Amino acid sequence: MVSQLSVGGSTLVLLGGLMMLWRRGVAAHIGAFTFQSVALAATMAMVGWFAGDWQLWAVAAALLLVKGIGIPLLLKRMERRFGSERELEPYVNTATSLLIGGLLVLLAYIVTAPLVSVSRLPTRTGMPLAIGLVFVSLFIIISRKKALTQVLGFLMLENGIALLAVLGTHGIPIIVEIGVFLDVALGFIVMQVFVYQIHETFESIDVEQLNRLRE
Amino acid sequence: MMATGAPFLTLLLPPLVAALLALVLPARRLVSSAVHAVLALVSLGAALGLVYLVLDGVTPTWGPTDLFRVDALSALLAVCVAFVTTLSALLGPGPGREQHYTPVQIRRFRVFASLFAFTMLVAVTANNVGVMWIAIEATTIVSAVIVPLAVSKASVEASWKYILIGSVGIALAFVGTVLGYFDFVTLVGQRESALNWTVLLANARVLHPPVIELAFVFILIGYGTKAGLAPMHTWLPDAHSEAPSALSAMMSGVLLAVALYAIMRWKAVVASVVGPVFPNRLLVGLGLLSLALAALSLVIQRQYKRLLAYSSIEHTGLMCMGLALGPLGVFASMLHLVNHTVAKSMMFFLSGRILDRYGTPEIASVSGLLRVMPWTGGLFAAGMLALLGLPPFGMFLSEFTLLRAGFADGQSWLMAVVLVFLAVAFVSLLGHLNRMLYGAAPAEVRLGEGSGWAVLPLVGSVALLVILGVAVPAPMTALLHRIVEIAGR
Amino acid sequence: MSPWLLAPMQGAVALMLAPGLVGAIRWMKARLQSREGSPPWQPYLELRKLFAKEVVVSSNASWLFRAAPFIVFGSAVTVTLLVPLLAVPLPLGGAGDLLVVVYLLLLGTFFLALAGLDPGSPFGGMGASREMTVAALAEPTMALAIFALAWGVGSTNLGQIASRTLSTPSEALAPGHVLAFAAIFLVTLAETGRLPVDNPSTHLELTMIHEAMILEYSGRYLALIEWAAALKLLVFFSLLGNLFAPWGVASVITPGALLWAAVTLALKLLALGGVIALVETHIAKLRLFRVPELLSASFILALLAVTASFLLR
Repeated sequence: MVSQLSVGGSTLVLLGGLMMLWRRGVAAHIGAFTFQSVALAATMAMVGWFAGDWQLWAVAAALLLVKGIGIPLLLKRMERRFGSERELEPYVNTATSLLIGGLLVLLAYIVTAPLVSVSRLPTRTGMPLAIGLVFVSLFIIISRKKALTQVLGFLMLENGIALLAVLGTHGIPIIVEIGVFLDVALGFIVMQVFVYQIHETFESIDVEQLNRLRE
Repeated sequence: MMATGAPFLTLLLPPLVAALLALVLPARRLVSSAVHAVLALVSLGAALGLVYLVLDGVTPTWGPTDLFRVDALSALLAVCVAFVTTLSALLGPGPGREQHYTPVQIRRFRVFASLFAFTMLVAVTANNVGVMWIAIEATTIVSAVIVPLAVSKASVEASWKYILIGSVGIALAFVGTVLGYFDFVTLVGQRESALNWTVLLANARVLHPPVIELAFVFILIGYGTKAGLAPMHTWLPDAHSEAPSALSAMMSGVLLAVALYAIMRWKAVVASVVGPVFPNRLLVGLGLLSLALAALSLVIQRQYKRLLAYSSIEHTGLMCMGLALGPLGVFASMLHLVNHTVAKSMMFFLSGRILDRYGTPEIASVSGLLRVMPWTGGLFAAGMLALLGLPPFGMFLSEFTLLRAGFADGQSWLMAVVLVFLAVAFVSLLGHLNRMLYGAAPAEVRLGEGSGWAVLPLVGSVALLVILGVAVPAPMTALLHRIVEIAGR
Repeated sequence: MSPWLLAPMQGAVALMLAPGLVGAIRWMKARLQSREGSPPWQPYLELRKLFAKEVVVSSNASWLFRAAPFIVFGSAVTVTLLVPLLAVPLPLGGAGDLLVVVYLLLLGTFFLALAGLDPGSPFGGMGASREMTVAALAEPTMALAIFALAWGVGSTNLGQIASRTLSTPSEALAPGHVLAFAAIFLVTLAETGRLPVDNPSTHLELTMIHEAMILEYSGRYLALIEWAAALKLLVFFSLLGNLFAPWGVASVITPGALLWAAVTLALKLLALGGVIALVETHIAKLRLFRVPELLSASFILALLAVTASFLLR
């Protein structure tokens, strides 16, 4: 039962990442991220329920607040300022991106085979999907042209790692969890400031314009 | 094992206090500069005190679940961090110094540079792998804020690349950390102290080799990004050349070393689980790639700060390779680390002075340095000769020891290749140096040294390099020997 | 009752229900759009009318043009004999394999495309190339999605897949099944020419895919092709219904069970038809270059379904 739910939850989280490759437009990307964060919080709560670990509930609640509500609000505000920019074709077109995403998920399976065979936890079945999300997020960061989408890709990468930690170890020690949270929140804030700065300096958030430094 | 927090507090609190004070004190007054410098010196003193403790045989720990722990390796790196922080406090943006920063910029620099120092010190003194990770991620964030101290298209681009690539790299290192923790938990069970180095090392025999190998790959890619190892180095030349010189000195001088420290710690754990062959091969591969890319890139450089940045990549590659060449290699690597910290930080401070005077980052526009600023030019030449690996400077000794270690380990061909790339770097750096030192001074550049006090600490740096090159002091050797024991095979 | 009678019975039921299904969807769409619409049995009247009409064939057409309607119709009817419409175990049990079904459907599509090219009309060629693009992306997805279902059963026989879900009902909510359902739903939209891939009621030739290929047909040929298209829709719906929610399908071959199976099949068809009608009313047609994106997304869903089944084996 737990296995099925963890695979189901992880699939939804991964689908959030793949939706970033599929949909266009910053608004759709923010929607995909919100969906993913909510699915992640739900999965965490589910694991916490079955493992009887109240700390996971707390972490799930914090995740929902910060990544499910707080960050999307901030991002929507940014999107209102920059969203009117024209749609940019990513470096790789949508259909190819989706196929590469699928290949990355398969690669994640191969890479995490030793992990799944080693673990005895019932939630271990979702771990390959978490690593798959890590790979897909990396791909999103390198193949998208808007700085805002790259930030979203980074946030999804963090989501993937959090999912991996929950499924593989039922959470990491609380002090590390808090620190990681603060780090990600701070990192996001600084990145946000930078996106504003890029917009002010370059009049757009197209990272292709960031090409003055060569060699 | 001392449980009192005194040594740790005197090490970690001053940078925090400096950051807070920089927020409140007016940036324009000389008093705030003095306070800033004094706090950095306190930190340096604490670090030296820790070295003394460690050489005495004590391993201080502190905090619940032994959160902080200082052994020889931590102590050495703490001294390096504190040293460069002190230099930055003395020579960085401040009132009356030549760089013409506004008070707002000076304040922002002081706050974040102090936070930067704090996070680096936490990273090297943390016993908990997770806390170390948090600190290193924090270093990316706080240093990225002040890279675009002078906002321009180039600096914004550099800072964006830095924070994005740096954060992604660190996130991958976290994947590796989680995998290591996962394996531990699967075998031993959940524990609050499960992420401590000491605990991981103690249980190393039980861990599963394939999982730990996978974890190490992630960790090497992740922390390697922060260390500037190729092919994840693309952010480094941009960030280190666009940042204010004092920040570049801190980043090139110690941040790369801190990232290498993280790799060293993990390598000790991994080597206990899977044996030394696997991690050594990876380290040699990445190190060689970095050395090669950097040496070849040095040839085509046109800006002197980017030149220094690529030189950092080159030396980090050498250090990385040294770690894989057995105990003598680790010794050479650590000696090289100290030498590089001293030399590179000095060079960046000097390049800041050159940028101020000449107003251009291009090598071609800088000529007649010896005539324009005799002291700066002389120190710059000395530092460059040190980076080239010439005697009597310390790098000659460390590079020679590294080559010896390679030959002793049976890697003769590898050392031959290393020599080839070192020669390439040698020729390009020397060529660029000559172009800058000699020739006629450009018309619009003011002659004369300017405020001479600023170069005094840097003369001290050169003296330190000479001492390390001629006769390494006994405490240093003892410390390095202890590190070799810690770092394992 | 002999199982060998079951096959022609299934085929007959399918032939009878198919035009009604198309009519029902059309009627539901009309009602949703606040129109009167034609009655649900309109397609039957159309078929009767078409069979009576004269056939006009272009002088450029070859034997392929005349043969294609029969091949298409024949393959569609054969598929209805093989899929688990009414009962599990299947009459032609061994032949009811996933790959056979997929290839039979593809056979029909292939010949229809050729027939579109045959008379040399530009719209036919355009429709044929578009249809092939869609098919090239949709067929692997279909195969992969059913393969995801097959993993748990250990066989690609559609009957066995359906009986597996009958015997362990909790399997129906397994992540692999849910994802496969989503993937096959998108494939259904593509293969049967429904919005957002193709508008079945469009009259603008430049937006047509399926209609463009059959533009030149008339009389009984057109009747056969329309009937085959309706059969294809029925087959896809019954696959969606009976593979993922097989309750009602007869596992013993008695008249009562078969009657009950027919009733539940009709209900499932109507339910799915209602969903399609809703979807079509709400979505606009995708621009043609966006169709591969939609199909890639369904391919990824099918891939995830396979991996989910693999993980939970």
